[in-house]
Amino acid sequence: MKWICRILPLAGLAAAASGLGQSLQTSRDDTSPAAASAAISPADIAFFESKIRPLLAENCFSCHGPDKQKAGLRLDSAAGILKGGESGPAAVPGRPDTSLLIDAINHGDIVQMPPTGKLPPQEIADLTTWVKMGLPWPQSEPRGQRRVDGAPATTYADEAVNHWAFQRPGKPALPVVSRPDWPQSPADHFILAQLDAVGLEPAPPANKRQLIRRVTFDLTGLPPPPDTIANFLQDQSPDAFARLVDRLVASPQYGERWGRHWLDVARYADSNGADENRIHANAWRYRDYVVAAFNDDLPYDQFIVEQLAGDLLPAADRQTRNRHWIATGFLAIGPKPLLANDAVKVELDVVDEQLDTTGRALLGLTLGCARCHDHKFDPITARDYYSLAGIFKSTLTIPKYDFQNHRTWNERALGSDEDELRHQELKEAYDQANELRRLNDEPMEQKKHSAQMKVVRKELAAIPVAMTVRDGKVQDMHVLVRGNHLTPGDVAPRGFPRVLVGDRQDPLDDGESGRLAFAQWLIQPEHPLTARVMVNRLWKWHFGEGIVRSVDNFGVLGERPDNQPLLDYLAVEFVDSGWLIKTMHRRVLLSSAYQMLSSTNPKSEIRNPKSADPENRLLSRMNRRRLEAEEVRDAVLVVSGQLDQAVGGAVFSPEHNAERVSERSGSGGVIARAYQTIRRSLYLPVIRSGLFDLFQAFDFGEPSVVTGRRETTTVAPQALLLMNGDLVWQAAKSLAERLRASECADDESRVCAAYELAFGRAPSRTEIGRVLDFIKSYEDELENDGLSPPERRKGAWEAWCRVLLASNEFIYIN
Amino acid sequence: MLRQLGAGFGSVALAGLLAEGANAAGVVGGSNPLAVQPPHFRPRAKRVIMLFMDGGPSHHDLFDYKPLLVRDAGQPLPQKLPRVLSNADRFGNLMAPISKFRQCGESGLWMSDLTPHLAAVADDLCLIRSMHCSNPQHGAACLEWHTGSATFVRPSMGSWLTYGLGSENQNLPGYVTMCQPLASGGAGLYGSAFLPAAYQGTPLGQERSPAAEAKFRFIESRHARPRLQRMELDLLQAMGREHLATSGADSELEARINSFELAFRMQAEAPEAQDLSAESAATRALYGVDEKATANFAQQCLLARRFIERGVRFVQCNLGGWDHHYNIRTGLRNNARQMDKPIAGLLQDLKSRGLLDETLVIWGGEFGRTPVSEGTNGRDHNPYGYTMWLAGGGVRGGMTYGQTDEYGFHAVENKVHVHDLHATILNLLGLDHEKLTYPYAGRNFRLTDVEGRVVHEIMT
Repeated sequence: MKWICRILPLAGLAAAASGLGQSLQTSRDDTSPAAASAAISPADIAFFESKIRPLLAENCFSCHGPDKQKAGLRLDSAAGILKGGESGPAAVPGRPDTSLLIDAINHGDIVQMPPTGKLPPQEIADLTTWVKMGLPWPQSEPRGQRRVDGAPATTYADEAVNHWAFQRPGKPALPVVSRPDWPQSPADHFILAQLDAVGLEPAPPANKRQLIRRVTFDLTGLPPPPDTIANFLQDQSPDAFARLVDRLVASPQYGERWGRHWLDVARYADSNGADENRIHANAWRYRDYVVAAFNDDLPYDQFIVEQLAGDLLPAADRQTRNRHWIATGFLAIGPKPLLANDAVKVELDVVDEQLDTTGRALLGLTLGCARCHDHKFDPITARDYYSLAGIFKSTLTIPKYDFQNHRTWNERALGSDEDELRHQELKEAYDQANELRRLNDEPMEQKKHSAQMKVVRKELAAIPVAMTVRDGKVQDMHVLVRGNHLTPGDVAPRGFPRVLVGDRQDPLDDGESGRLAFAQWLIQPEHPLTARVMVNRLWKWHFGEGIVRSVDNFGVLGERPDNQPLLDYLAVEFVDSGWLIKTMHRRVLLSSAYQMLSSTNPKSEIRNPKSADPENRLLSRMNRRRLEAEEVRDAVLVVSGQLDQAVGGAVFSPEHNAERVSERSGSGGVIARAYQTIRRSLYLPVIRSGLFDLFQAFDFGEPSVVTGRRETTTVAPQALLLMNGDLVWQAAKSLAERLRASECADDESRVCAAYELAFGRAPSRTEIGRVLDFIKSYEDELENDGLSPPERRKGAWEAWCRVLLASNEFIYIN
Repeated sequence: MLRQLGAGFGSVALAGLLAEGANAAGVVGGSNPLAVQPPHFRPRAKRVIMLFMDGGPSHHDLFDYKPLLVRDAGQPLPQKLPRVLSNADRFGNLMAPISKFRQCGESGLWMSDLTPHLAAVADDLCLIRSMHCSNPQHGAACLEWHTGSATFVRPSMGSWLTYGLGSENQNLPGYVTMCQPLASGGAGLYGSAFLPAAYQGTPLGQERSPAAEAKFRFIESRHARPRLQRMELDLLQAMGREHLATSGADSELEARINSFELAFRMQAEAPEAQDLSAESAATRALYGVDEKATANFAQQCLLARRFIERGVRFVQCNLGGWDHHYNIRTGLRNNARQMDKPIAGLLQDLKSRGLLDETLVIWGGEFGRTPVSEGTNGRDHNPYGYTMWLAGGGVRGGMTYGQTDEYGFHAVENKVHVHDLHATILNLLGLDHEKLTYPYAGRNFRLTDVEGRVVHEIMT
C-alpha cells in the first residue's frame, strides 16, 4: 500500500553534488531599526544629558563602551544599544517591557546589571522612561544595519558542504576480486576488494553449529533448540541456510528481536523520566506496533511516514486509523519536562527532544546542536533548526501547559467518537479535582478531592487509548537567539535543512504542521541520508559494528564509512527493493562475510595493535559478540525451560497511567511486580531513571536518548548479579530438574543434553569427565553440611548448572 | 564500575572511540577505567562527601540571618516577584525565621539555634549565601545541581569526578550514593549518561529505606560456605580458559574471566566497609548512631567516612523531607535535628583522623525557600537565592561568601550559580572544568557546559 507523495525539490543535492555549495548562503533580512529618528525636542535633550548620559557613563561604559565590549555589547550610542550583543538587541524603542536593558537593571531573569548591585529606583525609572520615549540620543551616529539575531550568517567550508553523507549515493559497480569463488553476494565483492588491497584474507567459513547459533540469536534473540540444530545439521541441501533464515524471519520472535533494535533508536520507555517520572501505561501499543511492523515487513518508507505523521494519513477503517495514531507514539514517548514552570520553555524543550531524536534516528544528524547557534561542524544553521522546529511546534504533544496540571501528555481514545469525547471530559474532570485539592489546606477537603480523582481514574482506565501527537496551532517559529525564547530573532519559515534542499523551498501548507511533508521528503529515493542510515543500522545489528561506526551521527564529526561503496550499494538496493527490511536481511545473511569464522584471524588479531586491522574494520572475520541484556535473560529462561513466549500486550494496568514511578517502584509496587514475569525481556517495563537491574548491569543503554549502538562493558557487578541474583539461581534449579526428569539414560547423556541446550554443541570426552568429577567432589563437599545423598546430588547438579549459565561460552556468540 | 582488570594485551583504546576528548590522563575505555588518574594541577582535596538535602531546605531558618525579615514579618514583600514561580497563587506575607540566630565560634558566623551541633563547628564552615539556580521545580533543580543540566540527560558531578580522577580502591566502586531519592530526577542524579557506565554512581538502598538496609546489590553470596562458591568459580575459570584457547586471544573474554574474581573479592570487602560494629561507642555517640532522631542519617555519615577511608572518590548521603510547603515549624525543626548531630560528628571525626584536610564536604539542597509564607504555615521553592556550605579540603572555614537581598529572596552580591560551584568543586579536586571533557554526539561536553566561574575567594 503506497500513498501519493508530494515531491519536494531536492535542489540542494544537485548543487552540493556539483560542488557549488551555494545552498548555505543564508538570506536573513536585515531589518532597519524602528526607533524614532526624527528631530529630538529640547526637553528630551535636556532629559538625556542630565539623567541618562551620566548614568550610562558612570555605570555602563567601562564594560560596554569604547574600551571593552563585554558580551559584544556597546551602550555608548543608540546604534550600539539597538545592535545589542550576544543576547540580542539591548532595547526596543518604546517598549521597556520587552527591552533586555530594562529587564537587566531590574535584575530580571536573563542578566542582572550592573553586576555590583541594583541601581537606585529613581535611576531605573529614568532609564525606563527613556526607552519608552524611543531612546532619543542627540547627535547619535547613523544607526546602519543590523541583524536581528545578532550573529553573522555562518558560511560553512566546502568540506562540510561536500561531506560524503550529503551527496546522493550512486550504485557502484562490483569490484574485481582476487578470489571469484568467495563472494556469494554483492556485499562480498566490496569486502574482499578491501581485504585484497591490504593483503588480508577472509576467515574460513564457520561450521554449521556456529552458524545456526549465530543466526538464531541474531534474528530472534533466542538460542536454537537442539532439535532445530539437529535438523539443520542433517539438511545437506545447498539452500539449507537460506531456508533456515526464511523460517527465522517468519517467526513471531523475529519481530520481538528486531523491533527491540528499533525501540533503542526510538528511545522507547514505559515511563516519562526527565524531571517528573510518571508511568506511560499506554506506551506498549507503540512497542507492539513496532514489533508488528517488523514481523509484517512493513516497508521502511511507510514505517517512517506512519511514525512521524500517521495521524495525518487517510485510513480506510478504524483499525488502520488506530494503527496510524499509535505509530505517532514515536514522537510522544520521549522524556518530557512535565513540571517546569516556564510553559514556553517546556514546549520548546519538547520540540527540541523530538527534533533531536528524529534527526539522529532517521537522518543520522545531530540537529539539536543548532538550537543555540549555527551547528559548529555540520552545515546546519540555527535557522534550519527553527525551520524544522516550527513543524514540531505546530504539533501537539502536551495539550496543556498550565504547570500545576499538565502532568499528562496527549492521548487519543481508540474507539468511537463518543469514547474520545468521554475521554476528554474525564481528563478535564480529573484536572479540576486535582486543582481543587492543591488549593485547599483542609485535610478533609483534600481527601474528598482525592477520592473523586480515584473514581475518575478508574473510569478513564476503561477507555483504551494510545500515546499520540496531533496537529496543533500551525505556526512558523522565530530563530531564538542563543536558544532563549526571551530573545526572538527572524522568522524561520517551516522547511527542511538547506544544505539538502537548497534555498528555494515551496512554503509548507499553512493548514497542517508539515510533519507529513517532512516524512515524505525523508523517503524520497534520492535522499542522501535516509536509506544509508537505515542500512547501516541493519548492518550494525547483524555484524556488531556499522559500516559507519557512529551509527547515529553521519555528520562531519561522525566516523567515515569503513567501506563506502558497500554502504552505497546497499542503500540503493534497499530503496530499489521497496525499502523491504527482510529482503535486506537475506542479502546480508547469505553473504560469505556473515558466515565467516569469528576465531581470531592471526593476521588481523583482535585488539592487537600490531595486526593489520585490529578493530576488524575490513571484516576479515566475523565479530564475536556478547549477548545483549535481553538475550542474557531470555536465553537463561529458555535453557532452563521457563520462558513464557506469549506475544504482546500491556505492561501495566491502565489505572496506573501517569502515576509517579517513585510511588510505584518499591517492593510489592506495580513496577516490581511487572519485573516478576517470565515472559521475554521485551515485555519488562523500561523505566527511565530506574532501569531493571539486569538491563542496567548489561548495557541496555539510556532509554531517554537514541541508542543505535549499545556499549559492551565487562564489569564485576555483572558477575555479582549472575552469581548471587535470583535469575541464575532459579534457572539452575529448573535446569537441574529438567535434566533429572529428562529421558536421559545416565549422567553422561545429561551433560550432553545440557551442552546442546546451552552451547549448541556436544561436549568432548574430557569435558564430560570434568563435569562428572565436579559433581562428585561437590557432592562430597556437601556431605560436610550433613545433607542426604539426594539433597547432595540435587545441590551438585544445580551448582554445575550455575556454572554453565555464567560461562563465557554461554554468553558469547562466535 | 571496575571493568577489565589485568587485561592481558588488551589495553589498547579503540581509536574510533577515543577521539579528542579525554580525562586527565587521556584514557578512555580500554584498560581499567577506574585506575587512578593524575589531576590537571595540585589538588586541595582528594575526595568528596556530598550531603544532599532533598526538597529545598529553608536558608532563612538555617544559615541566612536577615534582621529585616524579623522586623517586617507579617508585612507584604516590598519587591517585584520573579517572572517564574512555583506556587505564586498561594503567596502570603513575609515570615520570620522559626528560630533565633546567634554568632558562633571565633569567626562569629551567624548560626541558627536549630542546629546547635553545627554551631559548635561553625569555624569549619564556609557558607555560600548567594547560591542561585535556574529552575523552581524539584526535578529540574535536582538534575541541575547533580548534573549541571535541568533539561538534558547529562553525567552527574560524581561521574565526572570519577572519570577525571579514577578511584583509589579497585575492590569498591568509585562513586557511592546512599538512600538516593527516587523522584526528582531519580537515577539521572547519579547516572553517567554518555560517560562509560563504569563512572555511574552505585546506589545503596533508596529513599526512605533505613540506612542499615542500604547495601550493595547482589553482594551476598547465597552459598552456605565460601568453599562451595570457590569450587564453582574454579570450574568456571577452567572452562573460560579453555574457551579462550579455542577462540583465539580476546581481551574481552579475558576481562570477563577476571571480573568474576573481582566480584568474589568484592563480596568480602564491601560488607566489611559497611560493617559499623567495629566502630567504638564514642564514635557512635559522636554521630548519634544510637539516638532515634539521628540514627538513620548518622549511619549514612559514618558509612561515608568508612568509604572515604577506603579510597572511594565520591560519596553522597541523602536526607529528604525538606519540602516545607506546610507546617514548616515542626517539619523543619525535625529535619534540622536529623542532620545536626550526624554532620557535626562527621566533621569532627574526619578532623580527628586527619581526613578533613583532604576531604571536601558539601552541604545543600536543590534550592532554598521564599521569605514569604506559602499558605499560612509554609515556605515555597526559591531558586533565586539560597545557601550551601562547604567544609574541609582547601576551603576557608568560618567565612561567608556572597549575600542575598535584605529579605533573603534573591542573591545579589558575589552570586554563585550552580555552574560556578561545580567549577569550584572541580578546581578544589585539581581539575580544570574547561578541560575535563568527553566527546559525545559530535562535540566535547563538560560538567559546566559553557559556563562556570571558579570562586577562588573561598579557597585556602
